Amino acid sequence: MLGKLLKHEWQTVWKIPVLLIGILMITAVIAGLTFALPIWESDWVGLPISGILLVLLFYFAMIAASVGISIYLAARCYKSLFTDEGYLTHTLPVASRQILNCKVITISAWMLIAGVAVIASLVLFGLIVFLSLSTKNSDFARDVLKVYTENRAIWQEPFMRDFGSCMVSLIALTLVSSVSSALIMIGSITIGQKVRGHRILGAVGAYFAINTVISIVSVVLTIPIMVKMVTDSEYLSSFETSPFSFYTSIYWIMTAVYLIVGVGLYILCDYMLRRQLELE
Amino acid sequence: MSELVEIRNLTKVYEKKKVALDHLNLTIPRGKIIGLLGPNGSGKTTLIKLINGLLVANEGEVTVDGNKPGAETKSIVSYLPERTYFQNSMKVKELIEFFSDFYQDFRKERARQMLANLNISEDARLKTLSKGTKEKVQLIMVMSRDAQLYILDEPIAGVDPAARDYILKTIISNYNENATVIISTHLISDIEKILDEVIFIRDGRVLLQETVEEIRANKGKSVDAYFREVFAC
Repeated sequence: MLGKLLKHEWQTVWKIPVLLIGILMITAVIAGLTFALPIWESDWVGLPISGILLVLLFYFAMIAASVGISIYLAARCYKSLFTDEGYLTHTLPVASRQILNCKVITISAWMLIAGVAVIASLVLFGLIVFLSLSTKNSDFARDVLKVYTENRAIWQEPFMRDFGSCMVSLIALTLVSSVSSALIMIGSITIGQKVRGHRILGAVGAYFAINTVISIVSVVLTIPIMVKMVTDSEYLSSFETSPFSFYTSIYWIMTAVYLIVGVGLYILCDYMLRRQLELE
Repeated sequence: MSELVEIRNLTKVYEKKKVALDHLNLTIPRGKIIGLLGPNGSGKTTLIKLINGLLVANEGEVTVDGNKPGAETKSIVSYLPERTYFQNSMKVKELIEFFSDFYQDFRKERARQMLANLNISEDARLKTLSKGTKEKVQLIMVMSRDAQLYILDEPIAGVDPAARDYILKTIISNYNENATVIISTHLISDIEKILDEVIFIRDGRVLLQETVEEIRANKGKSVDAYFREVFAC
């Protein structure tokens, strides 16, 4: 049944996120292509300003895509679980835990896709800028390649020590925080149902409260590392040589925090959907 | 054979101490069309939602075919709420696929036939349909299942008299005869002709559960007239 729930959930939610990502990619291309135009060398200040505005548009499109997708998914989740559509969702012959799992998987996946899309749009923008500048200036590509070739040996430098483990911890943080973010969203909406007459406000309040707690706990847990950096000269020296070990510790702490929050909210949401459902 | 629905000491209290159901006891047999009748605020919809697992009781229990409301009971209960509960962006054919996917007892061809009888295109999006047509589509989906219990909450409110006749005809001609149909409504005179039994409910308690024939024989009046007498303001 989870497979069927996922199939129908994806059929319902894919259009808006794909549209937003499509718009993001288009703005990345348009912003990148401005560098192929002779507007930057124009005497009239309006043209370079237009170019800057187009690049800014791309910047805001990145924010709009990620925030827009999150808000859309939250609205869909709320609608399908706690409004009139909830009468259809909660009378399906499936366990409430499967409904929860379906929401978690769908929202997590789209959070990850949105993140990847933002990175992909930056890469696309960079690539188009590179190609645009290369067509205007034949030395540009050669100069960029030269810089890359001369600095390829950087990977062997002591500075890059622990880079691999840092990337592993960052990937773990990304994956866990995607799932945890989905559960924070669903958990906030579910908790908000308890605030009669102000359910949406309750959900927004719960969302900010949960994120505030996460921030405070994360800061408190990273204090020992910060103190160590100030008090342990050897550790400080190691950080100055290569900061990646420090960031690896921070990322693993954050991963643990998000994991615990995610598990706690999953248990809470499961209980509330099974034992505390009050569809109006 | 045991009763289809058994309700014992069921109590539901909303916030501000509003008692919707007050230690209600009720059994619902198999193979009957039952009218759940009562004034506004009597607890009909609360009872229906508890049977469907959309609310959690404060006290007591309800079982459907021996099981508490859950995935198993939802597979044998076909529920029509009093509101539009499908996504407006869905097409009718997508609804058919949806019901077909989740309910093993859903009969696609029956649904298609009923939609064709009403000239409702399967390619139509729900948001393009009138309120009455949407309600008919919902009813068609619900009655296209071979469920053991059909629960219809106000199926004929808000539609014209001709549509009401169509809906009642649809209910009679498409439900599984070994199943039970519970119809909650205020429009008793329209529905009386198809009922086997009635349950009168007021202030969260059952006042009466009798067959239509018993009421007519013992009270010497129609169910509608008796209802007006019992619930006179």
